Amino acid sequence: MTQGNGTSPVLSIRNLTTTIQSDGLIFDVVRGLSLDVYPNERVCLVGESGCGKTIAALSVMRLLPEAGEITGGSILFKGRELVSTSERDIRAIRAEEISMIFQDPLTSLDPSFTVGSILKELIKVHRGGDDKSAAALALATLAEVEIPDAKSRMDAYPHQLSGGMRQRVMIAMALVLDPDLLIADEPTTALDVTVQAQILERLVEEQRQRQMAMLLITHDLAVVASVADRVAVMYSGEIVEQAPVDQLFADPRHPYTQGLIRALPHVSPRKEPLYSIPGRVPPPQFTPPGCYFAPRCPYAIERCWQEHPPLEPDGGDRLLRCYNPQPFALL
Amino acid sequence: MTQTSVAEYKSAWEAQLLAFEESQHRGTMKRLLVGARRNRLVISGTVLGLLVLAAAVLGPAVIGSDYRSQQLRNIHLSPFSTADLPDQSQRFYLLGTDHLGRDVAQRLFVGIRVSLLVALGVTALSMLLGILLGLVGGFSGGWRDRIIRGVTDFVWGFPLILVAVLFAGGLGEGLFPVVLAVGLVNLAAIARVVRGEVLVLKEREFIEAARASGFSSGRIMFRHVLPNILAPTFVLASYYVAVAIIAEAALSFIGLGAQPPLPSLGVMVAEGRNFLQINHWESTIPGITIVLMVLSVSLIGDGLRDVFDPRLRHEAKRMEA
Amino acid sequence: MRRIVSRTGYMILILILSSIAVFYAIRLSGGDATAAALPASTTAAQREAFRERLGLTAPIYVQYFQYAGRILTGDMGNSLTNNADIGQMLIRHGKNSLILGAAAFALVFVIGIPLGIWASVRRNRFADQGIMTFSVTGMAIPNFWLALLVIWLFASTFHLLPSAGCCEPRHLILPAVVLAFEGIALTVRMTRSAMLENLGQDWVRTARAAGLSEIRVIGKHAFRNALIPIISLAGLRIGQIVGYALVVETIFGWPGLGQVLVNAVLRRDYPVAQFFSVVLVALVVIGNWLADLGYVIANPRLRRA
Repeated sequence: MTQGNGTSPVLSIRNLTTTIQSDGLIFDVVRGLSLDVYPNERVCLVGESGCGKTIAALSVMRLLPEAGEITGGSILFKGRELVSTSERDIRAIRAEEISMIFQDPLTSLDPSFTVGSILKELIKVHRGGDDKSAAALALATLAEVEIPDAKSRMDAYPHQLSGGMRQRVMIAMALVLDPDLLIADEPTTALDVTVQAQILERLVEEQRQRQMAMLLITHDLAVVASVADRVAVMYSGEIVEQAPVDQLFADPRHPYTQGLIRALPHVSPRKEPLYSIPGRVPPPQFTPPGCYFAPRCPYAIERCWQEHPPLEPDGGDRLLRCYNPQPFALL
Repeated sequence: MTQTSVAEYKSAWEAQLLAFEESQHRGTMKRLLVGARRNRLVISGTVLGLLVLAAAVLGPAVIGSDYRSQQLRNIHLSPFSTADLPDQSQRFYLLGTDHLGRDVAQRLFVGIRVSLLVALGVTALSMLLGILLGLVGGFSGGWRDRIIRGVTDFVWGFPLILVAVLFAGGLGEGLFPVVLAVGLVNLAAIARVVRGEVLVLKEREFIEAARASGFSSGRIMFRHVLPNILAPTFVLASYYVAVAIIAEAALSFIGLGAQPPLPSLGVMVAEGRNFLQINHWESTIPGITIVLMVLSVSLIGDGLRDVFDPRLRHEAKRMEA
Repeated sequence: MRRIVSRTGYMILILILSSIAVFYAIRLSGGDATAAALPASTTAAQREAFRERLGLTAPIYVQYFQYAGRILTGDMGNSLTNNADIGQMLIRHGKNSLILGAAAFALVFVIGIPLGIWASVRRNRFADQGIMTFSVTGMAIPNFWLALLVIWLFASTFHLLPSAGCCEPRHLILPAVVLAFEGIALTVRMTRSAMLENLGQDWVRTARAAGLSEIRVIGKHAFRNALIPIISLAGLRIGQIVGYALVVETIFGWPGLGQVLVNAVLRRDYPVAQFFSVVLVALVVIGNWLADLGYVIANPRLRRA
């Protein structure tokens, strides 16, 4: 599926299946995931915890834990198949062409090394060069992500910085080599609310300036609303709806998406009880026979329990995985 | 497309889901035991340990515990040999004889008893006192903690052998200074670990909840904190039993522990060292026995740790996710 | 920095306390100091006179101060068995023990750490299981028995290495290996578990995401952090080596401090026993202090901003 102007996607995930092994059992965490990310756009991947979005991101970077394995599908990056690439080639791609930001900045930075040395190592391994030029580039990038007093911060250890600053360091690490695609996995979840907005602003700004593609993973619809160009909603290992952001919020079609939006606490003159989607996400080892969302869906019909709905175009730029969509109305 | 059939699907599904989840959450204790039984380390360690125990307990009863009498005509016999006694009768020596004609098997079994008694007895005592000190220190904090911590921090790092030698210097030879030394150092080490665990536990919410319910410190300590630290403490205890066995043997070996003719395993190895060329069995047999004993205890300890740790961490992770 | 100063002060305090403790323990033991020095035929009166000459009749704390005073001026006293100057003994035997200890210490880390890293990288595969089995068994074998085994094998049977004596390199090999054995087994386990814990940490994932090679990720980022607990326990290795040296030196006839101490205790040679006890205790305490120092240096998280 191409965008209106006919460009081809930077990242094209097709039918990705990733399994995790735990306690001797193997189960699918990502099932037949398909998603495209085009150059110079911001795509948000939304879903509750446990839906497999982080594993999907790690699959792209080939950073799965030992217990994880990609068992099917393809991941095309700039036309190149990543699933079968050698370890060596993947290493060259990481940080240079695709980079990733993780959720918890405290544990994501090596506590035994200074911020500066971590950045310089990254630069020198990929680009070579001497210490001086690496230091200069590191410094410039730190300044760009708006770390105050970047020069002295270069000699600081991660534990000496605040959460927001550490995340900025991670962003610097992800951007310093000017990648084509940036994957951010819940970059603001571990931060204070005030800092969240700043970090998101910085990320959007960097994406615009460098014109890179960005895949932002989150469970927070507010983040989606403020950052995304396009949204993909994920449930139980697969995409259930995909649409440009304005359309998604104005006209959510999948019952799960509707439930997520309905569940957003909003300020209103009347006192309303908080809505939450009934039921729970099914454990990956035990999924419903038909549509995965059927047990919790207010519009489920017989067919939903019998067949698994495919992801299909739904007019315009939209995709939908549902046999019985109903129009959305805030209760 | 009927409403009822959808409802049927739904309730069927929910019943299945419930059953599935319940099967996942069998009681923790039960799970631990199942895990323990399946763990190869624990099994092999226990089997080995039971064998040794049997030898210690039943051996002397079956074979006799005469570890003194010498038969100078029958010295240095290899295992499974038979020889004549002065009164013309024959005697089967299961493990041969040593340089003084004494029955190695009998001496061995008595020696195992000595080693086990010392090791288990000392460890039991140091566990009791160590847990107590660790609990009090970690939980109460303040001056009590500082004293306990100062003493234990200093003692625990000390090499057992050195302490025992020092005690022997002060108290003379024999098992008593060995027991004292081993007990003291192990006590300090156990107290230290327990204290660490208590400190971690103290921060958990259920302690605050207990306080909020008005329970006294003592009650919280013993009924809430103690059961939670027992698991790692037992793993530690198994390690220290092993340490005690080796320490006692080593000290007896250099002459500072059990005194001849008491056949501690260490003494037996020492006595045979001059005859390695002629009859190595005299030293080899008690040596192998020591290794087996320590191995069995270590395996049990390692197995227990494998059973306790990943489960506990697994459970915790699953609850949070 | 403050921590270092306080630890040093603590160490000195411990040294003083332990010297007092040792002094008291030996004096109070009730054994007869004269038994070692004088032949059995001496009369009680002569023994009393001898004791008075040695200053043993004064109250114990007075004796301690006299003793401390003498030590600080360099007079360590003489051995009761052969009247040798204890100070000289310290230098001679101390050098031997130092050589043996250093050799064993080096072996522990040169062999232990690489094996531990290898085991952690090949987790649960053949290499790991093999190394761990070796480690578990290694810890179970009492080193005195290992010593005998090794002597029997290499000395008596194959005549490759001498079974006892001093001071050439070939005399050093067997005792150093035996002394290091348990330390190696422990270090392997320690390194393995520290590495495993680190390999699962998020920053290792970040390092991989940065495209760093596996060697760099493991050798630099995982290992650097694993080093912290290894170093902090290195001090324990020193204590352990000091302790086991007592046994190993005795078996191999390596004339070091340990052997001297054991003999002195067995023979009730009080001046020697006392002095060398304090020396060995001091070595252990200094070892722990050094490990503490190393821990502070190795762990950046302990440095204030």
